[in-house]
Amino acid sequence: MSKKPKNYKMRFQVADGVILAVLVAFALLIILPFINVVAISLTTPKAYADTPLLLFPKVFTWENYETLFQDGRIGIGFRTSGKFLLMAMPMNMFLTTTVAYGLSRTGYPGRGLILKFVVFTMLFSGGIVPLYLTIKSYGLIGNMWGVALSEGINTFYMIIMLNFFQSLPESLVESAKLDGAGEYKILWKIVLPLSKPVIATVFLYYLVDRWNEWYNAMIMVRDTQNTPLQLVLRNIVLDSQNLDNIMTESVELFTFSAGIKMGAVVVTVIPVMCIYPFLQKYFTKGIMLGAVK
Amino acid sequence: MAKDKAGKPKPTFKKTLKEIVRFRGVYFIMLPAIVWYILFSYVPMAGLSLAFKTYKAKLGIWGSPFTGLKHFEKLFKDPRFFDAVLRTLKINGGRLILTFPFAIILALLLNELRMGKFKKVLQVTFTFPHFLSWVIIASIITNVLSYDGLVNSAIELMGGEYVNFIGNSKLFVPLVYITEVWKGAGWSSIIYMAAIAGIDQEQFEAADIDGASRWDKMWRITLPSILPTITIMFILAAGNVMTKGFDQVFNMDNAAVHKVSQTLDMYIYNVTFNAKKTDFGYSTAISMFRSVVNLTFLVIANTITKKLGGNGLMGGGD
Repeated sequence: MSKKPKNYKMRFQVADGVILAVLVAFALLIILPFINVVAISLTTPKAYADTPLLLFPKVFTWENYETLFQDGRIGIGFRTSGKFLLMAMPMNMFLTTTVAYGLSRTGYPGRGLILKFVVFTMLFSGGIVPLYLTIKSYGLIGNMWGVALSEGINTFYMIIMLNFFQSLPESLVESAKLDGAGEYKILWKIVLPLSKPVIATVFLYYLVDRWNEWYNAMIMVRDTQNTPLQLVLRNIVLDSQNLDNIMTESVELFTFSAGIKMGAVVVTVIPVMCIYPFLQKYFTKGIMLGAVK
Repeated sequence: MAKDKAGKPKPTFKKTLKEIVRFRGVYFIMLPAIVWYILFSYVPMAGLSLAFKTYKAKLGIWGSPFTGLKHFEKLFKDPRFFDAVLRTLKINGGRLILTFPFAIILALLLNELRMGKFKKVLQVTFTFPHFLSWVIIASIITNVLSYDGLVNSAIELMGGEYVNFIGNSKLFVPLVYITEVWKGAGWSSIIYMAAIAGIDQEQFEAADIDGASRWDKMWRITLPSILPTITIMFILAAGNVMTKGFDQVFNMDNAAVHKVSQTLDMYIYNVTFNAKKTDFGYSTAISMFRSVVNLTFLVIANTITKKLGGNGLMGGGD
């Protein structure tokens, strides 16, 4: 009897070791490619070619970043993405908050119908071709406004917010109504101050989505002076990659070195990396609030 | 969302009107969003009518004349369309079966890990790639798997031979699955972690008294307890089988793998935006097929989920 607990404990330690090893291995699988990307961007092409398994730049240089920023496209990308966030984010938050609030209220005629009207868009959509032609018929092709407007509300995020609003005590809204407060005032003064965590979550989801925007912009904005950052990255890294495959070596073609391409990856990832680890709890909160009841 | 319909007298028209006036503020606050839904969701849906028209650039999407079912006749004779549909079902069916368990395994392992602080660090690491676009992920993967990339360097150091990962059509689909796990497993594991956290701890305590091993507890308590969550997540993932992964395939695509990367969404994109002469009517017909099939899948998935006692449309953000 006295020996059994010891064995028991031993077995636990082996299991713990195996679990830890598997998890750390998966973590390394995720982290190492990032370290590799950063290292390539900070070293010379020659040093990269000479060092297999490059994880630390032995020859350090900012040259790749200098060339990258001289090219100008990255600058255009940051400017376009920045402007895009400023146009899209207030609209996203306004439209999402107002409709979520309206649907969180009960007892008015047509509420069920409006909810169905909204949820149906999660099940059925025209798809990219009719969307493109509709935006075109509105005259919004060629600038980021068309993109921002076409992504005005993410209904899934709206449901997250709606579920949170519904969990607030109804008496709060009722008593404010009795005091004669209007709906905007109730939303702004009573509901929103109590909903900071969910507002933060949805705000961050939209922020990341808008930052990661490329597809609609690729289709709707065919203007080299108005390209969001992700699309600039795509043009720099993936398109030249495709050219590498097609072109034979005899064709002289300007493509960026690996170091410059990876520099472009780094500057695109850094903003997300700066906010995500510190705000992770807000990001994970949404996943539990997202069910349609 | 509880609404007591029972017991109330049937509202008359006049009474309803009065109620509408009373709640005008609520309608007013929702008005901008409703207008948005009409202009940017329902009008494009109506735009699917182009599938029955011949698109004339001058007349636009609304003015082009109706010409019947000719696009659908062409569609059902188009072997590339059938290829694309089958390929989509194959790639995404395989994805569902092969990548789905990883999030569960990850959650179970993380749950067994005793180090609280380190667990947090690991979780931040695992979930991070979810928030990067496929443009970024594809760039990183392409770099890591390139001729002088990390993976080939490691293979070389171990005495193996260089593998052409990116330009090999046989490796494209496996790479799609691997990168899916790499990017998404951590994020998907959160829902299972939450389900595990909700298990009644007394069950584990009772098992401890009975001398159950850790393995036993995992198989007999943890896994059965989260089985409803697993079932629901699986069905909902199955509902997305037509549309999943376009971003990913689009960015991982290259000239060498074109033959195996033409999923339905890729086909729609190429026919519409990459062709020498675009027939928007025909593109819309394919779009319509896609939307209707997708709707069918989603409705089935949601119906089953609700029958099983879950909530619909969970995790539909993607």
